[in-house]
Amino acid sequence: MKAIGARLPRYEGAGHVTGQTLFVDDIRLPQGNLWAKALRSPHHSARITSFDASKAASLPGVHAIITHADVPRNVFGHLAFLGVPADEPLLAVDEVRYLGQPIAAVAADSEEAAQAAVDAIEVEYEEREPLFDMRKAFDPDAPKAHHWGNWLPYFGGELENAGPDRRRIRKGDLEWAFEKADTIVKGVYRPAAIEHAPLETQVALAVPEPSGRMVVYSCTQAMHFSAGHVAAHLGVPLNGVKLVSSAVGGGFGGKVDSSSDTIAAVLALKTERPVKWRWTREEEFLCSGTRAAWHIEVADAVTKDGWILGRKTLTLHDAGAYLRHSSYATTKHTFHCAGAYTIPNVSFLAFAVFTNRVPSTAMRGFGVTSTSFLAEMQVNRIAKVLDLDPYEVRLKNANRIGDTMPNTVVLKDPSTVPVVQAIAEHAGIELAPEYKAMTWEPRTGAVLPEWLVEQQAKGGQD
Amino acid sequence: MARHKGRGLATIEYPTGMNQSGDLTQSWIKLKHDGRVDVLSGTVDIGNGSKTAHRQIVAAALGVPVDWVTVDVSDTDASPWDTGTFASRCTFIGGNAVKIAAERVRERVLEIAGKMLEIDPADLTIEEGVVFARGAPETNISVSDVAHAATWQLGGELISGTGTFVKPFAKILDQETGRIDRDPHAALSYGASVAEIEVDDETGEVRVERFIEAYDIGYAINPTIVEGQIQGGTVMGLGLALLEASYPYYPSPEHRGADFASYMAPSMVDLPQIDFLCLENPSVEGPFGAKACGEMANNGQGPSVAAAIHDAVGVWVTELPLTPERVLRALEKKAAGEDAPRVDGKWVIFDEELSINAVGAPDADVKFTFDPF
Repeated sequence: MKAIGARLPRYEGAGHVTGQTLFVDDIRLPQGNLWAKALRSPHHSARITSFDASKAASLPGVHAIITHADVPRNVFGHLAFLGVPADEPLLAVDEVRYLGQPIAAVAADSEEAAQAAVDAIEVEYEEREPLFDMRKAFDPDAPKAHHWGNWLPYFGGELENAGPDRRRIRKGDLEWAFEKADTIVKGVYRPAAIEHAPLETQVALAVPEPSGRMVVYSCTQAMHFSAGHVAAHLGVPLNGVKLVSSAVGGGFGGKVDSSSDTIAAVLALKTERPVKWRWTREEEFLCSGTRAAWHIEVADAVTKDGWILGRKTLTLHDAGAYLRHSSYATTKHTFHCAGAYTIPNVSFLAFAVFTNRVPSTAMRGFGVTSTSFLAEMQVNRIAKVLDLDPYEVRLKNANRIGDTMPNTVVLKDPSTVPVVQAIAEHAGIELAPEYKAMTWEPRTGAVLPEWLVEQQAKGGQD
Repeated sequence: MARHKGRGLATIEYPTGMNQSGDLTQSWIKLKHDGRVDVLSGTVDIGNGSKTAHRQIVAAALGVPVDWVTVDVSDTDASPWDTGTFASRCTFIGGNAVKIAAERVRERVLEIAGKMLEIDPADLTIEEGVVFARGAPETNISVSDVAHAATWQLGGELISGTGTFVKPFAKILDQETGRIDRDPHAALSYGASVAEIEVDDETGEVRVERFIEAYDIGYAINPTIVEGQIQGGTVMGLGLALLEASYPYYPSPEHRGADFASYMAPSMVDLPQIDFLCLENPSVEGPFGAKACGEMANNGQGPSVAAAIHDAVGVWVTELPLTPERVLRALEKKAAGEDAPRVDGKWVIFDEELSINAVGAPDADVKFTFDPF
């Protein structure tokens, strides 16, 4: 049998559908384990003015209560390897910036005992005005959502050369495009924050070995990445931590951040006992990272027969209260703002904006689900405004072999033309002969007007 | 009150691998002394099917039956580095890493078999777990016998091979233009989505009757798993198009759903017909021509459904999700004659009330400027 192209059943699939696969929460140790619960911020934005866990610590069954002071390295950046500075504390220090932010964690004999201790911790807050609308983040009197300001100031990605506070992509001559255009179509597009909504909530079991090593049974999507985070927070080298990868009960990007691994490990370190932390369904929905919300404004310069000569964008990415992977998402977004089309003149501008909500994080299509929405809404609107066929506008402006993307990447095998033709045929749409005959080879012949040949062949930025 | 049918199109592209690349995967393959194959990999299978695909890639690259191959993603000690299961990178980047490791194991098996058969390894090949001379299949030895001999008769060798695949990190050379020094991804995949819907103009409810989903994924290592990705992605796309919002009244943080009863993820009752067209234009660098199809499968439905709504009832809804409330408000504006874009010279300006220019302070640091520069 030929292995490549074979319709083999999913490896380990039978175990998943018959309930035999072991997930992290199914793991039982002979010595048992303690259970963790977290004290989370009840406010969107506040200063912590006092913290007293003495009553909580004296409750029955409580083994440890940890705060930021117990974490060997409390602030560690997920994108440290890219030179992006760290901003997010594992446990809040003297302020909270989003509802649900962890402040302290308890290890106890049962989840009930741990929760009782959490409820007995006495905290006083001084509430501050929160910021929720990214469009108001740039106002002179906007509330401050982050100690760096209301938007990421470090797009250079290198500490010694922080670079600009925005991501820019520019190619060609947008002034020419706006001048030459018959019509300029402008719209605003707002994809929502959504949940990963995995069936398995965030969960971790941290087991200290007699040797001093920390073993973490993790539901992470990226075990080496997560092992690096745990080791960094514990201040140990990579052989001080072993992450055991388990079946993942739904990830979709939401388990790239090891939300539960590190706090469970710090509790295990402190108690010298295994500790399991499993988030409730409510915590999973309200306290885990979301897909980011986006605010995108686009103006496209087009000819009356549907050639897109230029595009200008302004994008605001809702990072929430801390950066996590938002600089990555914002950059990836701008690399793809032309969609599946070759637009010779562009200026894309994007900011990663901080607000007082749960930090947004990776999710399926990270950074580009939003560009597909802006690019396709615009093409459909352009076709309507100009009374043109939306299939033909796409085929006209399609990426072709040898075309240059806005960031100067030369395309090797772009399939805009084949996928549009295939879907048109299946949908029963009859394309005009010159569009039916199109291929992904470089543009020639009837469809491309002479005066645009030079534009479409444009390489790097002017 | 009436129901209106509509149809809309979206076309998408999506990169394989992390943006700006540099996302490394290593793998290690070793043979047991009966020739069975252990793949030690750091690629966590989150339901994307990477273990299944990697097993098929290793079996093909090594020349053994698929059921000889075990893919083990145990822990960070046993398994070499993998950057992670994200960025649609596991079949392409992880797949290349296990393929390279399998090719090295194959090479070593051929060298040992060549000595045992006294034939130049270049004249040997492996199929279905048997090493044989090209053109003379009667001269053969099984991979099991080669592994056994290597372990117990020829000095105790562990037949193994490592493989690494990485596209080098693409540096942004110029912050003003975003010019980069190399490809920022491993490949690009393309797709298209057509939504066929019905809109109820009294309730604002939108029902999708059929999605047509076309994707060029290079080459399908396992077509069943590809179909699963496309179907799962399409349903997620339906959720983000019509139903889901962490903050139903965004930007307000109020009224968040905290369970599956109040957070509206799609369920079986929402499921439309899904027609999947799988195009295969083999990629230059992917294992056996494969490209990614994991994440992109939920990117087309938002815009294709929004286009279909316009086709059905003539209104643009540009905030996701496309809820009954938003559709009804758009229909009300249309009925009042207030839905037309503002036309200023050659500018056709939609959605002005949503703009940062309308919501932010007059002296804010950032505005959308109509100046092209």
